[in-house]
Amino acid sequence: MIDDADIRRFIAETFFVDDFSADDSFLQTGIVDSTGMMELVAFLENKYLIKIEDQELIPENLDSVSNVCRFVEYKRSKAA
Amino acid sequence: MCGIVGISLPRSTSGEWRESERSRIRRMVAALQHRGPDALQALVLDDVALGHARLSVVDLASGSQPMRDEATGVTIVFNGEIFNYLELRQRLAARYAFRTRSDTEVLLAAFLAEGIECVNSFNGQFAFAIHDPRDGSLWLARDRFGERPLFYTYGPSGFAFASEAKALFAGGLVAPELDPFALMETLHLWAPTEQRSAFKGVYSLPPASIACVRDGRLEVRRYWALDLSDDRIDRSLTIERATDELEALLDDAVGLRLRADVPVGAYLSGGLDSSLICAIAQERLGGTLQTFSVSFQQERYDEGAFQRGVAASLGTEHFTVSVGDGEIGQLLPAVVEHTEATLLRTAPAPLLKLSGLVRNHGTKVVLTGEGADELFLGYDLYKETRVRQFWARFPSSRIRPRLFERLYPYLAVSRQSPQLIERFFGNGLEQVGTLGDSHRLRWANSGRVSRFLSTAFVERLGGWDPVEAFLDGIPPELKRWRPLAKAQALELRTLLSQYLLSSQGDRVMMANAVEGRLPFLDHRIAEFAARLPDTFKLRGLREKAILRRIGRKRLPPQVLERRKFPYRAPIAESLVGANAPEWATELLSRAHVDAVGIFDGHKVERLVAKLAAADAPPSDADDMALAAIATTQLLARRFLADREIPSTHLDAVRVRAA
Repeated sequence: MIDDADIRRFIAETFFVDDFSADDSFLQTGIVDSTGMMELVAFLENKYLIKIEDQELIPENLDSVSNVCRFVEYKRSKAA
Repeated sequence: MCGIVGISLPRSTSGEWRESERSRIRRMVAALQHRGPDALQALVLDDVALGHARLSVVDLASGSQPMRDEATGVTIVFNGEIFNYLELRQRLAARYAFRTRSDTEVLLAAFLAEGIECVNSFNGQFAFAIHDPRDGSLWLARDRFGERPLFYTYGPSGFAFASEAKALFAGGLVAPELDPFALMETLHLWAPTEQRSAFKGVYSLPPASIACVRDGRLEVRRYWALDLSDDRIDRSLTIERATDELEALLDDAVGLRLRADVPVGAYLSGGLDSSLICAIAQERLGGTLQTFSVSFQQERYDEGAFQRGVAASLGTEHFTVSVGDGEIGQLLPAVVEHTEATLLRTAPAPLLKLSGLVRNHGTKVVLTGEGADELFLGYDLYKETRVRQFWARFPSSRIRPRLFERLYPYLAVSRQSPQLIERFFGNGLEQVGTLGDSHRLRWANSGRVSRFLSTAFVERLGGWDPVEAFLDGIPPELKRWRPLAKAQALELRTLLSQYLLSSQGDRVMMANAVEGRLPFLDHRIAEFAARLPDTFKLRGLREKAILRRIGRKRLPPQVLERRKFPYRAPIAESLVGANAPEWATELLSRAHVDAVGIFDGHKVERLVAKLAAADAPPSDADDMALAAIATTQLLARRFLADREIPSTHLDAVRVRAA
């Protein structure tokens, strides 16, 4: 299991936001801008040692804390 | 070009009053010495005192101010230029005996003949005040786009005005305190809205407005606004005829702005607009034009190659000032001293250095290309507006949003999947075309800076939303304009008049007593642009189509084919890490930020650490936050403490009584 607190901490520290919930869309609520998504992808690849394919760069995988957690779990289960 | 000040106090005739007002007006004029080092003068009348810092540009010998009409006692102080003063003078000559050649006297004569409505006949850039003892009124007025600044304050002890807020503080009718609402506006809209300044109790007279102070009452009204409604569009105009007409107008606008008793130079950015102005000026001057440019050591900001190309092709005598990352940080305290504002960009800093270069060459006046992007749809924001409209007609289209990749080529190369781009740019797609839709993305981006505000500061605002408040104040008829016209109107009211013409214009030029003249903002050109169909301006996703047509026979092809290149300067590279100036390290420290109390010291500390450790270029969001925090800290340091006015400046002011 990955700890969603790690994702939350990264978002809070990188984008200086305090209040957001697990299902808030990063892009629609303005928590992260479009270039910020690249920072998120780089963080996930480094921290969880996964490789994210271009076709996986979609909102369903990346656009909220819960989507990110689910996606990273899936990637890791496939790698294992 | 100059600085003006004045005070109007409850009526009194005692000699004591006059003595205290002499010293007050002296301090106010001295505070604006940089705007007009050629002569500092003030006149104390019965219930008002007016002062002037003069930069002599027209009628060097006899245009001195304050200027008084002996017959009526009407007295004027004037900053700026009325370019059609020769034509007006001819019209007025039958009714008024002119004593000088100056445009100031033409303004005075026009007021005597027509009253304050005379502003409607002025083609110029001006801020002036007129005292009329016949009915005890004090009139203030400002040019149509807000090229010249004018601030005022009022309270039980009286009314005062000045070209810059620092002179109001020197006058002592208002004490410096930062306005939290103005700051919140700046963090979203890039500058305070048009009635506000960065300071509580210091108001800006909006562009195209007149104020009247009489019997202790103040009234402000607008005398002109650019009408961009569909009714204005002239469908019978062909692109060929429109091009010819615009070229003739532009030629005349440049010609009027070359009127001066001193040499006039020009700024050359390397883009289409300033290149076109330079080409016309060079032709009119018969090949003696001097051009001035900023170049950057960092390649991603630099336009040097284009500037040199245009200068060579036009044969101008070209001068460049080169700016390194480290210098921006060194310049920023002086920038804030002059702009009196929180800034989301450091771009004004190189322009401060540039006006210094101009001044060192002995040039007092320069033409610039400002205004063309607003009037002829030059900015990406207009293209974004058009793409969103196109997309909103078929929201489920997978193809239409891909136009954003054409608009922002970095998206296509930066691993931004179409789905993510769609989600980002598709926010609020159902609101396309409503007032503010064009700007919400930009305002949300800059609004991210408010995340760094301290909790205590945010509480003072009580949930106030600067964007909604601003949009609520827009005249309702604008809501019926087409989407691109709405976007233009917002751009003119926020970015152009409140930021580009002030922080990136008048202030950083006048810091070195250099006067900017802006042919594109000749109101005849603005009104002509309003008659053109949008496709003459933004053709598909190609900006400023009609200006390119004019440029074809005058400019080298590489300038015509060039995409709009936004003028920017480094921020993080200048303020943190190896280049960090001493003041930045001090003012951005956690303790210092917390002591000022506006931003959250802990968050700022983390931002500085993040930017110092980064091995990639900073994100726009982080850059903007750093600029805003650093300039606000500078603003607090410079303006919230008492500051002495140099005694040499005070002694240089000549105060007379009438």
